[in-house]
Amino acid sequence: MTITLPHGFPHARLRELLVGVLFALLIVTAVTITLLALSPHLPIEHVTIVYLIPVIVAALRWGAIPAIVAGISGIAAPAFFFYAPIYDFRVHSPAQITDIVMFIIVATITGRMAVTVRHARMRAQAENLRDALIGSVSHELRTPLAGIIGSTSVLAHSPAIEDDEHLSSLVRVVQKEAGRLDGDIQNLLDATRISNEGIKPHLEWVDPEDIINGALARKRSLLAGREVTRAVADDLPLAYVDPTLIESALGQLVENAAKYSPPDTQISVSAAQHRDMIAIEVVDQGAGIPAGEAEKVFERFYRSPRHAASTPGSGLGLWIARALVEACDGRVRAFAGVGRGAIMRIDLPVRPQPAADEDVDE
Amino acid sequence: MSDAPTVLVIDDEPQIRRFLRAGFDLAHFTVLEEETGEAGLRTATLRPLDLIVLDLNLPDMDGASIVERLRGWSTVPIIVLSVRASDADKVRLLEAGADDYVVKPFSMAELLARARTALRRQARGASGEPVVKIGHLSIDLSARAVFRDGVRVVLSPKEYRLLQVLAQHAGNVVTHNILLKEVWGARHMQNSHYLRILVRKLRRKIEHNPKQPRILVSELGVGYRLAGGPDSD
Repeated sequence: MTITLPHGFPHARLRELLVGVLFALLIVTAVTITLLALSPHLPIEHVTIVYLIPVIVAALRWGAIPAIVAGISGIAAPAFFFYAPIYDFRVHSPAQITDIVMFIIVATITGRMAVTVRHARMRAQAENLRDALIGSVSHELRTPLAGIIGSTSVLAHSPAIEDDEHLSSLVRVVQKEAGRLDGDIQNLLDATRISNEGIKPHLEWVDPEDIINGALARKRSLLAGREVTRAVADDLPLAYVDPTLIESALGQLVENAAKYSPPDTQISVSAAQHRDMIAIEVVDQGAGIPAGEAEKVFERFYRSPRHAASTPGSGLGLWIARALVEACDGRVRAFAGVGRGAIMRIDLPVRPQPAADEDVDE
Repeated sequence: MSDAPTVLVIDDEPQIRRFLRAGFDLAHFTVLEEETGEAGLRTATLRPLDLIVLDLNLPDMDGASIVERLRGWSTVPIIVLSVRASDADKVRLLEAGADDYVVKPFSMAELLARARTALRRQARGASGEPVVKIGHLSIDLSARAVFRDGVRVVLSPKEYRLLQVLAQHAGNVVTHNILLKEVWGARHMQNSHYLRILVRKLRRKIEHNPKQPRILVSELGVGYRLAGGPDSD
């Protein structure tokens, strides 16, 4: 895989600009010729209105500078060809001067709007391209990674390596890093899937306890050596959600807690019913989240300035978690924490519980 | 189980086949390899096998149809290698007759654990051994009796039926649909909450800590399995 840097970048930009200016002038010329051809047959009083067309087209297609060129020539052309004295740039009639002033105002406003539209469109294209690129690159990376993870797992248990302390510690490093890489790639894939296809949840009745146990089992290696407490209320109602989605969302919260709190501190996971919500909470003993960041941490690619340099991360995990939970009509929030540490909470709506099995079973 | 069980690996990716061969070799399996579904099916008819490891994404055939064709004449345990985010695929394969699945990327230890479970189940089925032991629990399928730490546990008919179906596949996943059909009958296949509630009740009777089940474990979005003791889940 090679990525070529656009080293001729300023040059290409200049050429693009010149092409834009040239086309803007061409359109103005075309408009002028058309108007000159029509003027003997068609009484057009406010010709300047027609010259808004080149301004808007240039702003949409080529940006601000070609649009300004189109605007200036759009004043010059009527002044020269249509407003008395003809074939002279001077304009005498107050009505025509008003025309030109109005043109400048309207052209400036619509031109600016058109440039904004153009930027938005370019940004959307760039985002689509980025998502497509991330998607295909991640997929390409996964296949060799499956080979790496599988092969090192064989190496780790082969007698020659098991007996050698240095070699086995190296194999463990490869295993751990490959696992982390796999998690990152999975996040990228999830994120592109969410923004391209949206999420289609498969809702079913599920015991919230199974979701919590599933998420903690999945993150077991990450939690190794830590004290993890779970407090799940008795007789929690069943939740009507996509269990796989909520499990991965909770997994993201647990992973986040593990990442941003000292490795020897406790993480607690609890679940209880609060009125019409099942609340699943992950609490760590880390530095906590400043109140101003409690919402920001769920933004796509957001990395807190407090960790951006010290802890690796993509800024995707919590954004994914929120998207997954919201797809099941739940919500995720972060709280600063009363003493120390961050509190992350998933709220799942309590639905009317389904009718029990009416058959006698005793 | 014979001394050196024979495993057939059907996978089109050479690097995956290579580590599977090395891993199974180290675990004293005899390894056969095929790259395509067609070739895999052919080998399965020609050679006596103890286990098939089947990749889901083969270039020539759909995984489920390979499983269905194998099940046409063979009861050899099949473990499927699948990718993540495809619960529906896993369910389809299990219901087509696959015994279990592992999700890529996976470690050899994980696959070997699943393989040994499948081989054990096959051997138990062949010998007609009526008692299934999982951790502190033993289930006597012929006497319809369940013992927890040696003490008989009283189960309701449905609780017993659920445990019985899981015990018949001990160690392997049984899908929600199959459990619903076996315990309540085909017309209750939609009532997945019956199963959730019955599982809760059953866990209270058979688990040491029903909130962190070690025996009756859930495979979210797919089904349940009876795991073997505290070290496997």
